[in-house]
Amino acid sequence: MKLKLASSISSPQDLQALISEIRNYARWYGHNAIKLRLHAKTKRHGGQAEPELSPAAKEVLAGWGKHDELTRRELDSLINELERFARTAQEITITLAAPASNSIKQILVAWCRDNIAPDILVNFQFNATILGGLVVRYRSRIFDWSFRRQILEARGQFPEVLRHV
Amino acid sequence: MSGFYMQLFLYLNVFLMGALTAVAIRHAYAHFRPHVAEAEKHPVTMQNGHLPPAVREHLLEAAQANFQTVLDRSAKELSQDLEKTSAQINKLLEKHGTDVINDDLQHYRSRLAELQKQTEAGMSKLQAGLSTHQAELDAEFIAHQAEQKAKLAEEIAAEKQRLLQQIDTQLADAVGSFLLDTLQHNVDLGAQATYLTSMLDEHKADFTRGLADEAKTSK
Repeated sequence: MKLKLASSISSPQDLQALISEIRNYARWYGHNAIKLRLHAKTKRHGGQAEPELSPAAKEVLAGWGKHDELTRRELDSLINELERFARTAQEITITLAAPASNSIKQILVAWCRDNIAPDILVNFQFNATILGGLVVRYRSRIFDWSFRRQILEARGQFPEVLRHV
Repeated sequence: MSGFYMQLFLYLNVFLMGALTAVAIRHAYAHFRPHVAEAEKHPVTMQNGHLPPAVREHLLEAAQANFQTVLDRSAKELSQDLEKTSAQINKLLEKHGTDVINDDLQHYRSRLAELQKQTEAGMSKLQAGLSTHQAELDAEFIAHQAEQKAKLAEEIAAEKQRLLQQIDTQLADAVGSFLLDTLQHNVDLGAQATYLTSMLDEHKADFTRGLADEAKTSK
């Protein structure tokens, strides 16, 4: 079984939320399985309703099970795999000039997973002073492709450009 | 030896001169005192005995007249000779003086010409030296002037470059500050989506290489 994350699960926070959601679902699933066995003996219905899962969680659960119905053991192994993934996954931070919308996040995460590593996690931050572009940080290395950096680097060319105006 | 002969010759001369002097004094004395001697030898009393007094008086007057005539003529001739001699002496003196003056003048002129030549030579040399020195000074002045001009031009160019650099720096700072202050408002990320991916694609090689290097160093 191979873990396949949706592009909406981009950051470690998203991954932790997914793990928590899966863990709740697994807990409910265990309780519900016990109740189902009891109801089968007593012919009575009842118990806690099935928790609402996010599309990303549904996608992960659909891609994880071997069969149509997941077992408690498969859910536990999925949680273990997600926790292991959270510990070992590569993580980068992208800083934008404004809070990133979901569409922007998905575009950038998809690019990173297609071109860098399929299991990479991306943190998003914003800083208005960079004006535009993006700043990528991976551990201690920073790639600054912001407008501010470009303006400061091209500052010496402004007089030359203004002379030709 | 020659000294001995010379002494002998001198002594002989002295002796001859003494003899000649004695003879000359005797003749002179005889010349200036003949009448006294004759008068003493032939007293008047003897003449008075041969000539009558009238003749003797007449002869005496005639002798006096002749003597006076001869004396006057001699005085006159002496005076004339003296005048001629004086004139000749004056003429000779004048000629001699003229010659001396001419010689001195000639000598003075030649000396003056020589001094003038020397002075002219010195002046020419001095003039040549002055010309050379003037040429050296002119060349040095021109070189110094050119050097000063070049130095001044270099300083002006450096100052101009410095001012231009300063203006460019201030202008760049102003434009940069203006852009930074202006662009940090109303940032639209939606319009930058394509730009962001294109920038990632553009720097993909550097980006992946940097990540790989960082991963290696972290391990």
